[in-house]
Amino acid sequence: MRRSIAYPLVALGAVGSTLAVTSPALAHGYVSAPPSRQALCASGAVKDCGAIQFEPQSVEAPKGQKSCNGGVAQWSVLADESRNWPAKAVGKNVTFTWVMTARHRTSNWEYFIGGKKVATVDGGNAQPDAVVTHNVDLSAFPGKQTVLAVWNIGDTANAFYSCIDLNVGGGAGDTPTTAPTTRPPATTPTTAPTTAPTTQPPTEPTTEPTTAAPTTAAPGGAAGEWAPGVAYKTGDEVTYQGKKYKCRQGHSSLRSWEPSIYTLALWLPL
Amino acid sequence: MRRLVVVLSAALLLGACGTAPDTPAQVSTDAKAVVQAEGKFNSTDVMYLQMMVAHHEQGLEMVRLAEKAAQRDEIKTLAQAVDATQSDEVAMMKEWLTEWKKPTTVDHAPSAHADHGGLPATGDEEIAALKKAKGAAFETAFLNLFVAHQHNAVEMAQLERKDGVNTEAKAFAERVKESRTDQIKQMLTLMNS
Repeated sequence: MRRSIAYPLVALGAVGSTLAVTSPALAHGYVSAPPSRQALCASGAVKDCGAIQFEPQSVEAPKGQKSCNGGVAQWSVLADESRNWPAKAVGKNVTFTWVMTARHRTSNWEYFIGGKKVATVDGGNAQPDAVVTHNVDLSAFPGKQTVLAVWNIGDTANAFYSCIDLNVGGGAGDTPTTAPTTRPPATTPTTAPTTAPTTQPPTEPTTEPTTAAPTTAAPGGAAGEWAPGVAYKTGDEVTYQGKKYKCRQGHSSLRSWEPSIYTLALWLPL
Repeated sequence: MRRLVVVLSAALLLGACGTAPDTPAQVSTDAKAVVQAEGKFNSTDVMYLQMMVAHHEQGLEMVRLAEKAAQRDEIKTLAQAVDATQSDEVAMMKEWLTEWKKPTTVDHAPSAHADHGGLPATGDEEIAALKKAKGAAFETAFLNLFVAHQHNAVEMAQLERKDGVNTEAKAFAERVKESRTDQIKQMLTLMNS
C-alpha cells in the first residue's frame, strides 16, 4: 500500500492566547470513504445511531483495541452487528480516505480483518493532512469483510477507530443487496432531536400559494410548508411560520436554512 | 437586546424572478441582512468571529472551485448554496466586529499555533491541489476536504457556544453547528453514492 494523495494542511492556528488556553482536544479523524460505520451514521444511511452521528470523528480510545467502537461504551452501536451494516461493493484494491479534523502527530495507520493485520502505513510521527488516503490490497480477502482501520497517534496513548464493511471483489458497478444505492438529496435526513421538524408535508394543501409565480411555480412539487431534506429549486415557493417565501438559490434544505432573516440568500420574503 | 433590520435593495427584488437552477450564486451580495449583535461580548466572541471570517473565506474559495469543476448537479447546487449563505455570513460577521471596534482579520500568521493544537483550516497548498484535480477525482477531493473543513466549523462553534457571551454570536454558532452538520451529512452521502 502507499500513500497516494496528500493534501497538505496548513493550520489556521490564528488563535489568540485565549484559545490556546481553553482549546479542547480537537484531534479527531475517521474513515469517510468507503463509508465507515460512523460515516454511515453521520450521513443518515444507518438510522438511530445516537450521538455518534454528530461527531463521527470522535471514536478515540487507548491503542490496541480490536472492536469497532474502540471499546468505548458511548459508541457501542458501532460494534453492534445486529445493525446489518451495509457492505460497500469495492474492487480488490481499496482506497481508504480519512478525514482529519486536527493535525496530530501520527505513529501509523493499521488495517485489520478478523483480528489479522492486513496493512500498516507509517505516519513518520508527522502531522497528517486534512485528508489522507491509503491504497490497500485486499485481494486475499474476497467477499464480505469488516475492516478495522486504526489511526495511532504519535504523541498520546490513544488511537482513533473506524470499521468499514466491504464486499471485496463485488466490483465498483456491482450492487450488493445491502448497499445504499438511492440518490441522496431528495431523501429526508434523520435530523437532530433538538430543533428539527422530522416530518415534512411537502404536499400540504392548505397553504398553497395563491399568487402564481410569474415564471416557475414550484415544478418540483415543493410548494407548501418548508421542510428540511427537500431539494428546492430557484422559484419554488414555501410557507414558513405563516409567511411566504420564494427560493432564490436552489439547495437541499437543512437545519438552520429555513427561511429567516439569516437566509435571505436562499429565501426571498414575499 | 437585539434588533433586526432588513435592507432589501431594489436589485435584489429585480433579480429574484425564477431562473434556471444553474444561476451563478452571486445573488447574495445584494441582500443585506443587518442583524446587530448588541449587548456584551467577550474575547471568545471576538476570536470566534475573527476565526470564522477567515474560515468562511477559505470555504468560499473551495466552493467556488466546485461550482465550476464538479460534475454532478447536486454538488454544484450545494456549492452555490454554501457560497450564497456564507457570503452573507461573512458580511454579517464583519459588520459585528466593526460595530465592536475590533479587527475583522486575525492577527497571527496562519501556522503560528499549528504545533500545539491550533485550530486547523484548509491551507493554500490544499486548495492548490484541489485546483489541479479533475472530474471524479475533483469531486472526491472536494467533498472530503470540505467535510473536514465543515467539521472544523462545528468544532469552533462548540467553543463559542461554551465560552462566548454575546447572544447573537452564540445563536450564530448554533446555526453554524446545525447547518454544517447537515452539509456533512449530504456530502458523506454524495461521496459514497
